[in-house]
Amino acid sequence: MGTNAIPLIHTSMGGNANPMDPSHNVLPGSNFESETTMAGYAKLLPLFNRAAMVSALVPMGRITGDVSLNGLDYKKTTRGYGDPMLQFGMNVIGPKPIMNIPDMLRYKPGFSADIIGTLAIPVGNYDNTSPINIGQNRWYGRIGTPIVWQFGNWVPGERTTLEFLPAVWLFGDNDDFVGKTMETEPMYQLEAHLTRDFMERSWGSLDVTSYTGGKATIDDVEGKALNNLGVGGTLGYQVNENMQLTASYSSTVNDNDSEDLKMDSFRVTLTYGWHSLVEGMRRLKSAE
Amino acid sequence: MKINRLILPVFLMVQVVSAKPPSLEPKVKRPNIVIILADDMGYSDMGMFGSEIKTPNMDALATAGTRFTNYYTHASCSPSRAMLLSGVDPHHNGLGNMDEWTAPNQIGKDGYEGHLNDKVATIPELLKETGYHTYMVGKWHLGKSPEKIPAARGFERDFSLLDGMGSYWDMTNMTAKVPNSLFTEDGKYLTKLPKNYYATETYTDKLIKFIDEGKSDGKPFFAYVAHQAPHDPYHLPKDWRDRHVGKYDTGWDHQRVERLKKQKQLGIAPESATLAERMWFVPEYSLLAPAAKAVIGRKMELYAGLVENLDFHIGRLVEHLKKIGEYENTIFIVFGDNGAEGNDLGAMIAGNPGTRDFLFFAAKWSNNHPNAWGEPGSYVGYGPGWAQVSMTPFSQYKGWLGEGGIRNALIVSGPVNKRARGGINNGLMSIADIMPTLLEVSGATYPKEHNGHKLPPLIGKSWTQVLAGEAESPRSKQDYLAWELFGNRALIQGEWKLRWEIKPFGKSDWELFNLASDPAELNDLASTQSKKVQELVSLWDKYVRDYKVILPSRSPFEGLFDVLPPRFPVTIGYPPLSSKEQYVPPKNLMTTPKK
Repeated sequence: MGTNAIPLIHTSMGGNANPMDPSHNVLPGSNFESETTMAGYAKLLPLFNRAAMVSALVPMGRITGDVSLNGLDYKKTTRGYGDPMLQFGMNVIGPKPIMNIPDMLRYKPGFSADIIGTLAIPVGNYDNTSPINIGQNRWYGRIGTPIVWQFGNWVPGERTTLEFLPAVWLFGDNDDFVGKTMETEPMYQLEAHLTRDFMERSWGSLDVTSYTGGKATIDDVEGKALNNLGVGGTLGYQVNENMQLTASYSSTVNDNDSEDLKMDSFRVTLTYGWHSLVEGMRRLKSAE
Repeated sequence: MKINRLILPVFLMVQVVSAKPPSLEPKVKRPNIVIILADDMGYSDMGMFGSEIKTPNMDALATAGTRFTNYYTHASCSPSRAMLLSGVDPHHNGLGNMDEWTAPNQIGKDGYEGHLNDKVATIPELLKETGYHTYMVGKWHLGKSPEKIPAARGFERDFSLLDGMGSYWDMTNMTAKVPNSLFTEDGKYLTKLPKNYYATETYTDKLIKFIDEGKSDGKPFFAYVAHQAPHDPYHLPKDWRDRHVGKYDTGWDHQRVERLKKQKQLGIAPESATLAERMWFVPEYSLLAPAAKAVIGRKMELYAGLVENLDFHIGRLVEHLKKIGEYENTIFIVFGDNGAEGNDLGAMIAGNPGTRDFLFFAAKWSNNHPNAWGEPGSYVGYGPGWAQVSMTPFSQYKGWLGEGGIRNALIVSGPVNKRARGGINNGLMSIADIMPTLLEVSGATYPKEHNGHKLPPLIGKSWTQVLAGEAESPRSKQDYLAWELFGNRALIQGEWKLRWEIKPFGKSDWELFNLASDPAELNDLASTQSKKVQELVSLWDKYVRDYKVILPSRSPFEGLFDVLPPRFPVTIGYPPLSSKEQYVPPKNLMTTPKK
């Protein structure tokens, strides 16, 4: 039982921080370009009569970087696998988990709040002679509380939600960052999404993300804490009962200073999901 | 203190100036009259008639008054309303057929005008003449042109939906040719609806305003509160939609059993009462898949919410009358206009893809995700299975002449009712009785002529003796009630009912039932009681002659025999196949295959 999903997330990013490093440690004057894809598996299932989710994602792809650090220039393209990420989430406030077809028919998020925990395992490709890496050579993860408010009817074509994701990222030390030790303070993330259905199968959202904190220190040389805002939008299309496609763009906006994070990203996500109930509903529809 | 000193003398002066001399006051103020008509509400939908639906305000009226279990309306909307307001048989008052279904051989004939004709007088016309204020809110469905609207038929104030159905939220109507509902307010056609219009709430607000604005002259009022609820489409505010989620997954079979059980506890049904057969084309609920149960159950959840919302607004009206001191002097008459609606009106109107009305429905009535039901643009009705629940314990539903089509729950409370509070009466009552009853109560008389026309005779009997506790029924055993609609026919005399209905609901032949022993109409006695059939058929023939009944050459039900599955008796537990379970052999005899 439970819902199964395979997400494929392709991201094209550019900016002055390693896109694969969630701390977005700004390296002034640097220029990174990345083409990465994350593939994985997610399972949604009831736990203690609450909706829960476990997932695993593996990033892969290539990063091209042009970085000046400590008087040395690095220009390199690195490719391979990044640090796999494990994620666990569980609803704490909101509707009971979907256990059967009637539950599915009656589902409305109303107000719901979850807790999520993410952990990256530092086994991705890493080159200690370069600051341009897909793997991060340190443990890191986040704890967050996704919140969803439903406005109006939960009817395809009419759904509106306001969603927040406050989270804190915690980072272990990278004790071999081009031969040095990099420590990073906790980083605070707040995502906000206003989503609205356009039609029965299509929807869009306005996305705002803020990052604060996350100051990196490399061998006692302190960097600058982040205080950035990213703004973007997403278009989504439910291809069929099993498949959803989204495309989004986001860019930092308050990034005039050379030490500010400058980053933008295009992202296309294809999620294929399946559940015996969905299959059952399809059989029922075809039998009508 | 300073203000009190200034105000008190002024206040006393106003009292002195405005008070009428005692000699001009009537010795006993005549009672106000409120008729609350719930559109398509079923016999068992009120709590005090066996429902699980929460109707505390209607129940309170029942507790304060009397419940009548043997009350008959007509089988459909307009004929019932025309009988109510005129006290005259529909074949005389213009509604010998529903306007929408007038048969070719009835067109242009007297009694088949399709609106309340000008050859009858109405309750408000006669009560107004005797000094009553006359108010109407809600659904009219008795004519649309200026000489046919409520203001032209005796109502001095009105806020009315002239059509038979439509959106509860706006002016959207049902067909491509009639895309907009028509409303009148005080005799003028509305170009738009008030802000924040919701039918049941707005009707109640308007009536309260009419009452308040009219009370200064001390005249009693007659209010006809013809609610659109709970007619489909089930449009109801969000707050009322999710009060019964999952409750009706147990299904219509279970719910009918539960309602009958409660009816017996309440004394509405005798201990010997049995349920009518589930309609043969309605599936046994336990055989439905969980998804189907949830979706079909959702329809009943909404219906229950709609009835509860209706009850809430009835409660607002009652509270207001209490607040202004008029409740104790108000007669309430509460009932549904016909059986609960088991027909799929949406399919009847727009069931054929490629048609004009199908396209209209697609544009205006297709907001039909189950989560959207209740919203503007959604169209949902609950179908025959739930309609039979609403009509527990009877058979059939609206449009038909089985008990489920014409028998309704009736509550009468107020100053004329001297019977023991909360009691139950089983006398044979008719919707046509309301006119003579109210004329008697108000001191009005039924004139011989009205607007230059000789008036047809009233067919009803006054309830005043019954309400005074001096009689158990307004009818003798010889008095009879008769119906004809869509070609179906019925006649009730005493405990006997003669019925002729189009196949497959009926036999296209006369059937005979003894309602005292078989209110569920399970046993057709026509073959064993041929003398009684003959006797009642001769009464029926007299009725046809007296009222110039023209049996229709076409009927909305004429093709049903070709649409519905062949009719077989519904026997609970048959076939056993459907309830067979997996056989589990004894463990010690189970093994795995040998190699």
